[in-house]
Amino acid sequence: MAAYFTSKWSTIGSSLLGNLRNNIVFCASTAHETTRLGNSSSLFLQQLRTFIQMRTKLKVVDNSGAKWVRCIQSLKGRKGARLGDTIIASVKEAQPRGKVKKGEVVYGVVVRAAMQRGRCDGSEVKFDDNAVVLVNKQGEPIGTRVFGPVPHELRKKKHLKILTLAEHIA
Amino acid sequence: MRLEKCWFCSSTIYPGHGIQFVRNDAKIFRFCRSKCHKNFKMKRNPRKVRWTKAYRRLHGKDMTQDSTFEFERRRNRPERYDRNVAQETLKAIKKIDKIRVDREASHHAMRMKGKKAIERQAAAKELEQSIHLVKAPLALQEDPSLTRPKIKVKVSQPQAEEQMEE
Repeated sequence: MAAYFTSKWSTIGSSLLGNLRNNIVFCASTAHETTRLGNSSSLFLQQLRTFIQMRTKLKVVDNSGAKWVRCIQSLKGRKGARLGDTIIASVKEAQPRGKVKKGEVVYGVVVRAAMQRGRCDGSEVKFDDNAVVLVNKQGEPIGTRVFGPVPHELRKKKHLKILTLAEHIA
Repeated sequence: MRLEKCWFCSSTIYPGHGIQFVRNDAKIFRFCRSKCHKNFKMKRNPRKVRWTKAYRRLHGKDMTQDSTFEFERRRNRPERYDRNVAQETLKAIKKIDKIRVDREASHHAMRMKGKKAIERQAAAKELEQSIHLVKAPLALQEDPSLTRPKIKVKVSQPQAEEQMEE
């Protein structure tokens, strides 16, 4: 916009030089304001992602029958669970005739987390949503399919069965 | 180990740097630094942001087609390690890099070819049109040494003009 204004004024040519300088200053100030506005709005829009803690709602991405679960306890970490950790959850919404019913207390492995997690080489990885795969107490998955991408860190956590069932490994 | 390219600015991401975002359809977006990640979160288009490689390629600022880019390509077939091949490759890297830099410099020189003349023309025009801001028109009339000397141009057909006036 600023460039457009300056070009317009320079083409007129008959305007005084002092006028021109004033225009440039004006344009610069407006541009500065717009950038500042953009920054503040983006800060407002972005949500701060944190640990998976008590009362976090998670999507169930297997065919065990549950749709949504709510975390009631994380089995590791004082602050909460992260990508690859195991949680205890209660089933909030389930399909009829599934393996698990609404209100059951289940174990689950966090396979996707919106909060970033460091990788072994120092880089970080984060996902779109918080998702969980339901497992039994021994750590074997209840369902027979896993949907969406899962991180390769599950190998380190000894959840090989989930990795073999997964569609994509990120 | 693989050196990936940043999704936003197309720079190389070395191991241990940056962040990667995995969308639910398993598309991976890699970013070299938080600057690129933030720009992605603001939903900016890298083709419209001036400092990215995508913008510079699109607007003809950088070389786009060159045989030196063929060496830096994603290959999905793993190469078996061979000591001789590795040594030769290390030697070739330096040579290829030098050729690439030279070609980029010549591309830049070609791009900037007529710039000086254009700038000079613009400056001359500016001086001619707004000299009255520096010196008052009356002063110029009194002291002709301040004005630029008029260039005499030969007019080939003076008769044609007279006919027009009549």
